[in-house]
Amino acid sequence: MIVTAFFLAYNPKEAYRVVISFLAIGFLVSGIATLSYYFTMARYMVGGKIILYRGVLLFDFAIFSGALADVPRFYVLVYLAVIHLFSGLVEVLRSAEARGNGGKSWGLKLIHGIINITAAICCLVFAKKTNTAVYIYCAGIFYSGIIRIVQAFRKTSFVYIR
Amino acid sequence: MQEDFHYYATYCAAYLAGYSHEESLDICYCAQFVDLCSTTFLSKIKAPIKAATTQLSLEMMDARTDIIGLQDITRIWASFHFLPRDLYAVKPNRSKRYMSKYRLICGPNGDLLEKTVRLAKGKSLQHAGIAMHVLADTWAHMYFAGTPSLVINNVNNSFYEILEKDGEEYARQIKFRHNPSAPDDIEKGLYTNSLYQSNENSIMNLGHGRAGHFPDYSFARYKYMPAWADYYEVLKDNPSDYERAFTQMVYALKYLRGETESFVKDTYDTSVMEKYGDRIRTIIRKRQLNACEDWKKFGEELSGETIEKFDLTKYEDEYDLIPADSKNKSFIGKFIEGALQQKGMVTDEISKAGISHAGFVIPIELNKRKSG
Repeated sequence: MIVTAFFLAYNPKEAYRVVISFLAIGFLVSGIATLSYYFTMARYMVGGKIILYRGVLLFDFAIFSGALADVPRFYVLVYLAVIHLFSGLVEVLRSAEARGNGGKSWGLKLIHGIINITAAICCLVFAKKTNTAVYIYCAGIFYSGIIRIVQAFRKTSFVYIR
Repeated sequence: MQEDFHYYATYCAAYLAGYSHEESLDICYCAQFVDLCSTTFLSKIKAPIKAATTQLSLEMMDARTDIIGLQDITRIWASFHFLPRDLYAVKPNRSKRYMSKYRLICGPNGDLLEKTVRLAKGKSLQHAGIAMHVLADTWAHMYFAGTPSLVINNVNNSFYEILEKDGEEYARQIKFRHNPSAPDDIEKGLYTNSLYQSNENSIMNLGHGRAGHFPDYSFARYKYMPAWADYYEVLKDNPSDYERAFTQMVYALKYLRGETESFVKDTYDTSVMEKYGDRIRTIIRKRQLNACEDWKKFGEELSGETIEKFDLTKYEDEYDLIPADSKNKSFIGKFIEGALQQKGMVTDEISKAGISHAGFVIPIELNKRKSG
């Protein structure tokens, strides 16, 4: 992910289409898989509607992302800003929930939330610079790559059923 | 269930069924050993890892949830901890994919329980101990499946403990948290559970992980909405269920000893409750995280002997020193034999029901007690 981030950052014009295509295909596959899971399994489950909403939302994201190839990059930045802002707020809320439940991971969640919200603000502040979307995307996957490396070395534990 | 029931209460049940102190110790040792016989342990003593009866948290973290990984998980958890009640259960308008998980829901008095107890008949004390673990867990783990499944094992916020104050019952919502290092807080109703994961096959959705250890406490009375129950609430009365688990163990052990000719499901040895009912009910209903001391004291009063603490390393040296061609005559060797037979039988039954989540058993290998 780190290598890809650097590669895309050096080729921002080509990267734009590549990123949008990958994003759209990723959302499409996830959306179809989630909808299929809902219709064969989750619709029988208590609270299973959430899976349907998730599937529809992913599918919607896929169509919308695919359509972005033909729209001005300004709107892409607004789109990115909304995604980051939404993710950031969810992370901050999760952090508060984790803290309330006595969890230890609330600090990390809060940092994730703040980074996402900062990214959203950057999208809007640098909206006039057309390659901003690519750079923010590169920063995002660079950060994800670092986090994955950190997580690989982090001790984790979970409930063991007996 | 925990060590208090699998070790000390099983000792009491075995002794009341007529086994000697030493025999009862062997039976309860094996009943508890089921919760500790992991691939890590078996690798350490150079025993066949396919005989594993549990997975440790570290092993589960590494466990893959592709089809092969899921089959490994299901073979272990469905065979020893979440014995399916009805592999041919019917529920209208459900997909085959859904039913293959639904039919793995654990519960007492299923056909597989009869097969489990009968399989142990005429076998070693180790095998009897394994059967008692499986039997006891069918009561505690009722309504959950021994395979990762969000649509079966998930629970939501509608989870209430039934408590009593001044002779009147009231419901208190249970608060789940995800902090494994924090002990459960009985007074405040705070319990640790696994994280919500929307992935159907996430290891977090195995068994009663989403309800934490709460279903394993004998005093617990609770109502909740299981993911599979079409928005109906289920009332789980552990004190009553644990009492039946205990009396069914006594009955099953009498059958294994040869005192009773047949083992029929939904049958209990109520004679022990006539004599020791008050004592047993007091232990089961006492609100505590661990009832080991109370069950130990009761067992020692019954036999007049000291019940030693469970020691995982107790039979390691014996297994290590015995020649390779005689390993199956050692204590652990006999346990392994019993575990392989149980795992093979349950896997075969699940496979015959058309469910692929536990893999399948090749008949020729079944005779050699190899599950695959």
